[in-house]
Amino acid sequence: MSSTITETHTQHTGADSALKPERSQLGLLRPDHSKSVWISWLTTVDHKKIGVMYGAMALFFLLVGGFEALVIRTQLAIPENDLISAERYNQLFTMHGTTMIFLAVMPLNAAFFNFLVPLQIGARDVAFPRINSFSLWAFVAGALVINFGWLLEALEMFGLFNASGPTAGMNDFVPAMGWFGYAPITGKEFTGAGTDFWIMGLQILGIASLTAAMNFVVTIINMRAPGMKMMRMPVFTWMTLVVSLLIIFAFPAITVALGQLMFDRLFDTSFFATAGGGQPILWQHLFWIFGHPEVYILVLPAMGIVSEVLPAFSRKPLFGYAIVVFSGAVIGFLGFAVWSHHMFTTGLGKVATAAFSLLTMAIAVPTGVKIFNWIGTLWGGRVRFAPPMIFSLGFVWMFMMGGFSGIMHSSAPADAQQQDSYFVIAHFHYVAIGGIFLAVVSGIYFWLPKITGKMWKGNLSTYVAILSTVGLNITFFPMHFLGLLGMPRRTHTYLAGFGWETYNLVCTIGAYILATGIFLLVVDMIRCLRSGEPAGDDPWDARTLEWSTTSPPQVYNFARTPVIHARDAHWEDKYGPESRHTTYEADDGHGIHMPSNSWMPLIASVGFIPLGLGLSLMQAGVPFMGYMAIFGLITIFSAVALWAIEGPGGYHLHPKEATA
Amino acid sequence: MYTPIQPLFSLFRRLIVASGFISLLILLSGCSLDTRMSTFVTKGPVAETQYNLFMITIWVTFFIFLAVGGTYLYVVLKFRERPGDDRPLPTQSHGNPLVELGLIGVSILLLVIIAVPTVQGIWYTHDTPNTEAAKLGNWYNGTALSEGEEDDVLTIRVIGYQWWWEFEYPQLGVTTANEMVIPAGKPIHIELRSVDVIHSFWLPRIAGKVDLIPGRANSMWIQAGDDFDQWNAKLEKQNIDLAEMDLQQDYQDYLEDEIHNYYYGQCAEYCGDSHARMLFRAHVVGDDEFSDWIDSQKQGHNAPDGKSWEDWYAAYDADPDLLTGDINEGLKLFIGRGQCSGCHAIDGNPRTIAGVAGPSLTNVGERHSIAAGWLNHRNEDGSIDDDLQYANFVKWIKETDEVKPGNLMWWTRLGNGLGQMKEPLNDDEIHKLSVFLQTLK
Amino acid sequence: MSTAADASAHDAHHNLMVDNKKLFMWLFLGSDCMFFGTLISTHLIYRKLYPEEYDPTHLFSLELTSFSTFILLMSSFLMALAVSAMHKGELKSFRRNVCGVIFFGLIFLGCQVYEFTEFVHEGLTLQSGTFGSTFFLLTGTHGVHVAIGVIWLLCMLFYTQNGKVDAHESAVDAEVAGLYWHFVDIVWIIIFTVIYLIEFIGKTGGAH
Repeated sequence: MSSTITETHTQHTGADSALKPERSQLGLLRPDHSKSVWISWLTTVDHKKIGVMYGAMALFFLLVGGFEALVIRTQLAIPENDLISAERYNQLFTMHGTTMIFLAVMPLNAAFFNFLVPLQIGARDVAFPRINSFSLWAFVAGALVINFGWLLEALEMFGLFNASGPTAGMNDFVPAMGWFGYAPITGKEFTGAGTDFWIMGLQILGIASLTAAMNFVVTIINMRAPGMKMMRMPVFTWMTLVVSLLIIFAFPAITVALGQLMFDRLFDTSFFATAGGGQPILWQHLFWIFGHPEVYILVLPAMGIVSEVLPAFSRKPLFGYAIVVFSGAVIGFLGFAVWSHHMFTTGLGKVATAAFSLLTMAIAVPTGVKIFNWIGTLWGGRVRFAPPMIFSLGFVWMFMMGGFSGIMHSSAPADAQQQDSYFVIAHFHYVAIGGIFLAVVSGIYFWLPKITGKMWKGNLSTYVAILSTVGLNITFFPMHFLGLLGMPRRTHTYLAGFGWETYNLVCTIGAYILATGIFLLVVDMIRCLRSGEPAGDDPWDARTLEWSTTSPPQVYNFARTPVIHARDAHWEDKYGPESRHTTYEADDGHGIHMPSNSWMPLIASVGFIPLGLGLSLMQAGVPFMGYMAIFGLITIFSAVALWAIEGPGGYHLHPKEATA
Repeated sequence: MYTPIQPLFSLFRRLIVASGFISLLILLSGCSLDTRMSTFVTKGPVAETQYNLFMITIWVTFFIFLAVGGTYLYVVLKFRERPGDDRPLPTQSHGNPLVELGLIGVSILLLVIIAVPTVQGIWYTHDTPNTEAAKLGNWYNGTALSEGEEDDVLTIRVIGYQWWWEFEYPQLGVTTANEMVIPAGKPIHIELRSVDVIHSFWLPRIAGKVDLIPGRANSMWIQAGDDFDQWNAKLEKQNIDLAEMDLQQDYQDYLEDEIHNYYYGQCAEYCGDSHARMLFRAHVVGDDEFSDWIDSQKQGHNAPDGKSWEDWYAAYDADPDLLTGDINEGLKLFIGRGQCSGCHAIDGNPRTIAGVAGPSLTNVGERHSIAAGWLNHRNEDGSIDDDLQYANFVKWIKETDEVKPGNLMWWTRLGNGLGQMKEPLNDDEIHKLSVFLQTLK
Repeated sequence: MSTAADASAHDAHHNLMVDNKKLFMWLFLGSDCMFFGTLISTHLIYRKLYPEEYDPTHLFSLELTSFSTFILLMSSFLMALAVSAMHKGELKSFRRNVCGVIFFGLIFLGCQVYEFTEFVHEGLTLQSGTFGSTFFLLTGTHGVHVAIGVIWLLCMLFYTQNGKVDAHESAVDAEVAGLYWHFVDIVWIIIFTVIYLIEFIGKTGGAH
């Protein structure tokens, strides 16, 4: 490798340990320099630690969701299988979808946002470090509320809990109405407490995502290093900006829809209940006005990752940077205009169907543009098959496959045959696994050495790539045929004699191959963490600013504020003319101001757990749960008030490199 | 620093071998596309339009696949770094707007190829055609129609319940469940209604799906086989010399092939516990047979032993014990201890008309499946396997909650379902009920 | 004082067009626009479904609602005065005006509580069909926004009582609170139009 390390970073001296614990304006001790590992992680406001925690939890939920998928596939391996009951199957596919979307992919993206965005724009932290910590813990609270039903199921299985006495009103602890929760099956005459956990959990996750998104927009707009103009930002940061804006404008629709649903269940209102004149179809509109932008919220960060990896390993700049950025924005914008293509079979009428059909085709254009530009980036480059690159190359191929079936859906009459069949499952899993998952794994292989400072060992990544790509195709390619041969989605079993048996068996085998690939990925990560060699600052000879810091980066990211003179700043440092090299602002001698750690974001987030569970259990008629909800609300409000009063605090660091 | 470990070709070779292996596996499995719910082997203009559009998208995407995928493979292989590669650093070029614009233009053109027939297809599949030949008055020859309905096409109202289907023929005054009977070659207007949650009506070989949404009046149209004009137009396309053929006769022959086709459908929108077991059937018949079927539905059933219902109920009210034999015992259970008549109607029987909560059982013995298509007793030749039918009835009554978890018959909201009877039906009673139900044809 | 109080003073910002907190509030308001937009569109779709017996013109008292609308508008005026006072560093004037805003906000909330109880007495509840559902959810959500605003301003009063404030930070905080308050006010004007006034189109009589 030809990295030219122009600057050797010394491990910074323990300047912070010299500082005495500080008292906040409340007179409370700030948990800044705690010796306890637990306290330092729980109260941290460091975007890197928060990113790592997002990533760890997202990977955990990825494995949970993957396990749920494996059980589903095992049940479907043969016709009329009775491995699990219909109810359990419905719970599993509901939680598989909810987990993968809200608890695995979104936080995985958040992990990358958190870790990378400040580094990529040359900032010391995000704009609101404590809100960042709040977003993380609120996500954890939401995840716990959504999954609370599994705990009850487990307790019931061991005979430690049963729905009798004060809890007699409870049934269906685990949500079982699909991740889309189409009214009126979410009404209380059709589903039980699981739906309430799901509603409250999603509301909490929504709050977490919204605060995080606003934080990132402010960070990207306001916190860029000098000279880091918008059109010099790395594409990943651009996609973070677009995704954050999408979250800000798309989530309110689901918040309102969930609120209306909660009112229907708690107070017998008539938003979706036909008895009082409500229209179940309203839910679908509100859900997909959120849900379609959500698709892009999931996939645009993946495109951002690939747009970083491909140039790095082709040793060329991204082809058509401006157009890639612009097409990302157009995808985000058009994403709000195509929601009804999820509803072609709901009887929209001719004109609306045609309009949404054409708009859906239109959104294929900016997506295609990205693929052209990625190929253009490879063209004439020196394509090196390092592990991150293998996954990114796989991404382009698999994402293209998913895009093709997307074009097939856009033709509404053809979609009438595909909607709600396995064809759709094939489509979005090509996009979700072939697209998002491969890109995220590519990102993990690319940036984990930066995050941990340790390099990958051996060539296990090759096997991960082969097993997951082959597994993906064996699992999901036959599903195209299953769908076109008439197998509907979300069915817990099927009769023999419809020509579905072989396909289903093949799909199940594929799922286990894919699972093996993911297992090896975990093994490879553990090996890297346990015994990887030091990675160095720039192990891949990469292009963007984050590679100019130490691996892992210091708590203050940059000892001196970088001044940017070109796009692909780090590449220019190594190979560009002198005029484009990054310079550094002189140290002003005051030291680096670091924000203080705080308990308040954690406490405020924890308040969501009694609030969410309280409201859910209140619906089920469990006594005193209203008080628990009020207790949760009071916790949140008091923690936020104390948070405001304690002030941001802060201390100064004097790293040696700053003055060097 | 990182050393590339794996020569690239070995990786690709493995990938290619693996994908070849999968394709082979699928081919070897002998998966035919002509299956019961295949969208490839279509009947009638709706599914055909949808299939043709699908094929257009296939060809367009296949073209893109070859062009883009080919370029991609070429680029990746051509510009890969070989061991000992001493090429200089690539030029740091930033793109070419003309190339981009050109590609955007080509993509838009390709999409227009899909867009135009798509819009045509949306219009065509949306409105039920009302041709002269389709008008009810021009082909239906059963009991007289009421004024004004002669000019309408046949309408079937589909009502979705958790987890079964009701098919109402409002113009003809007939209701059946789970197996619909439709005339060949005639457009049929379908009204879609739901009483509980969202369902979706899907007969893959005849038409794509449309949802049944509570509080909303959806509709669609289906047609099993071409009508004369469509059939004729297809012949003309194939340049067959029409003069030498007896067209009407040939069309009748064509239609004869469609008749007695038996189509499989299924609910396609998740609707709760037993969504997977909410199937239905469509039985295609000729015009005359259709009229006969309507009449037989209307007429309903006679009482057992050739009695009139008045006599039978008189005997029943006087001393039920005198009515003996499995069939009589079964009927007594049906209106008595079994509580079946509280929900299920049997047309003709005056004491079952209150039934609304469950499927109509009129002519249930003629149906090829029970439990919304889950338990089947149809032979290959289209006849009914009596033994299997009996076994299915027994199974359904005995293990309702296993056949269809969460269903109303087992757990009625009134608290008197099969699963909540103080003394469950014993095997002998179930046997008698099953024998009685088999006679309903 | 603000919940978004993580001042970024620790970091030199070089491309600061709008202060961090203000930008954050603008983004929140953008999100809130979509939030109210969704609620209002639900109402507009559902008002076509009201059965006749819920003819809202019999319920609404335009006099009362016009009064509370006026009160809210005036509170916005006072809020503007308060923000400008803070910019000039006139803490006393700021506190006086904020007191006025809180007072008017409470009057508005009082009117709403009165109106809600009246409606419930006349038989319009959350459970009475689509009209009750959308009316109470939409106006109630707005009421919660006003209430949060009042609590926020009370906190600001509490926080500024010792008279020691950082001039720049407080001006930004006051401006952020002002943005929120004005937004809530504007939303009310839209709600007043689409919930109340629109029902009287083509109807001769006013209330009662």
